[in-house]
Amino acid sequence: MATRVETFGRRRLRAASSSFDRHIRLWLIAPAVLIILALTIFPLAFSLWVSFVEFDFSVSNEHPWVGLDNFRDNWRDPVWIHSLKVTAILATASVVVELAIGFLLALAMLRPFRGRRPLMTLFVLPLFMSPVIVGGFFDLFLRRPFGPMNWLLNQIPWMGDVSIDFTNDFPWTFISLIIADAWQWTPFMFVILLAGLSSISDELYEAAEIDGAKPRQSFFFVTLPLLMPIVLIALTFRFIDAAKLFDIIYSLTRGGPGTDTYTSSYYLYQQGFEFFHLGQGTAGSWMFLVFLTVISFWLVRRLLKPLEA
Amino acid sequence: MAVEARRLRRRPAAGASRAVRGTKFRPGAIVRFTFIAIYLAFLLVPLYWAAVTSIKPQDDLLVDPPVWWPADPTSVHYDTALNSFNGWKGLKNSLIIASSTTVLALLIGTSAAYSMARFRTGGKHLAFWFLSQRLMPPVAVIIPVFLLYSRYSSEWLGFSLIDTRTGLVLLYTVFALPFTIWMMYAYFRQMPPQLEEAALVDGCSRFQALWKVAWPLATPGLISAAAFAFIFSWTEFLFAQVLAKDHAVTLPVALAGIVAGFQGNQYGEASALTMVSLVPALFLGILVQRHLVRGLTLGAVQG
Repeated sequence: MATRVETFGRRRLRAASSSFDRHIRLWLIAPAVLIILALTIFPLAFSLWVSFVEFDFSVSNEHPWVGLDNFRDNWRDPVWIHSLKVTAILATASVVVELAIGFLLALAMLRPFRGRRPLMTLFVLPLFMSPVIVGGFFDLFLRRPFGPMNWLLNQIPWMGDVSIDFTNDFPWTFISLIIADAWQWTPFMFVILLAGLSSISDELYEAAEIDGAKPRQSFFFVTLPLLMPIVLIALTFRFIDAAKLFDIIYSLTRGGPGTDTYTSSYYLYQQGFEFFHLGQGTAGSWMFLVFLTVISFWLVRRLLKPLEA
Repeated sequence: MAVEARRLRRRPAAGASRAVRGTKFRPGAIVRFTFIAIYLAFLLVPLYWAAVTSIKPQDDLLVDPPVWWPADPTSVHYDTALNSFNGWKGLKNSLIIASSTTVLALLIGTSAAYSMARFRTGGKHLAFWFLSQRLMPPVAVIIPVFLLYSRYSSEWLGFSLIDTRTGLVLLYTVFALPFTIWMMYAYFRQMPPQLEEAALVDGCSRFQALWKVAWPLATPGLISAAAFAFIFSWTEFLFAQVLAKDHAVTLPVALAGIVAGFQGNQYGEASALTMVSLVPALFLGILVQRHLVRGLTLGAVQG
């Protein structure tokens, strides 16, 4: 179909009236390419330069070359290394939690029942909220002493007297962040996996049944293998986004207590816009970008490869 | 569980299999609905708490045990949040910025997608270059963009982009483009080109064929792409926090300002503004629910 359009197009284009019409394919694509070049590629190149000079906002217009000093400053800062670990841990943990809950929920919601439709709508609502607001919800809900979470836990008869400081005590800060992130992003896993589950053809289950497979066997030998490619897509997309975690940190723990819950994004934000260490901030941003690109490509290669086969 | 579901859906009157299985009592169903109920509670309780906090009088906010429903609900927090905490300004800016971004991203993105789908412009590489923009961490570009906006834009362009709606719209458009392009690319590719060919035969120019034939036909795709672009710009926080401190302040930034500039307790105001900001996003979310899966995976999974 596409080739036919193209040949038709060429014949037509030879007779095209204006030069605008003759080069329309380029005119149409140019704005998108130009605006991306102007606002991501150019700033990235600019920031590469900033990361090799001393760029202090207040002092002067002189920007002496400092070589790798800015990069070294990051690695000498234990908080930077800590933030990379926190990013890896939080991203992995929340993605695993979201995958597990999302998968179970997709299984539970697969079969139609009365009220399924409105429930579906409710379940996906968090996807349309601002993460900074979701962090705010949980701040309101968990913060001791007036958030109701501790009170709720105390209502469970055999719990005894609990008083957990969800936003200040290790490991509760991490758990709170994962809960907030899972609250927002479990629906992401859920809708994608549900689409995957519904797309598995009935005939395959019939064939398995005829071959004498028990439901458990069908699940492990039909459902799981067929669902795998979609699970991997969902994991890839979700992990890449989870590694950028910033908003929920900002509104729930503010990186605290101390610098315990600094993610890399939060650290770089602090460097750039609280301390105005712009050189160090851009150097860190570049390293973060490289890490993330390498991991993304690895994930896309490794995980999405089975799809093309 | 899935297997069982499939089988029952296929044969609604599956008397035989139910007889084999026993009677109406199925432990699976109890587990299933318990799980759904627990998840629903997890979802709704924090939402409810924020909603009820926004209508509580000041005295009910910081008490133990917590007040689950105030004796006399009040709208005073909405009033304060909107009138004295940048609420109206944020609301207005967010609306203007999100709609402008939507229009711009749609115009630019659809054109590019059309060019790629119908003329194969740039081939596979260009398509993946657009896609790779989706992976870009915002924090990697925010410092240089801040520097360019605040320091160099007035030097080079003659006007400053810092703390302006234009500056934010341009940046949001760039970040909305990857999914706009990919969604529309997928849409145009599955749309048969015969109608446009007919228009060309009838003497339309290429551009008219796009403008008068392809665009109207792509309306359903355009609507869902538009909703995604709107929701993205409506909920974005990091860029706005850095680039729009005062004049162009958006709703999420105004909200974070209430929480951060803590004097006494402003839980009520923060919750009120939260509720206000949820409305349009939820409305649009419900509208695009059908295209959700495709939008979230940029067309990789068909919903």
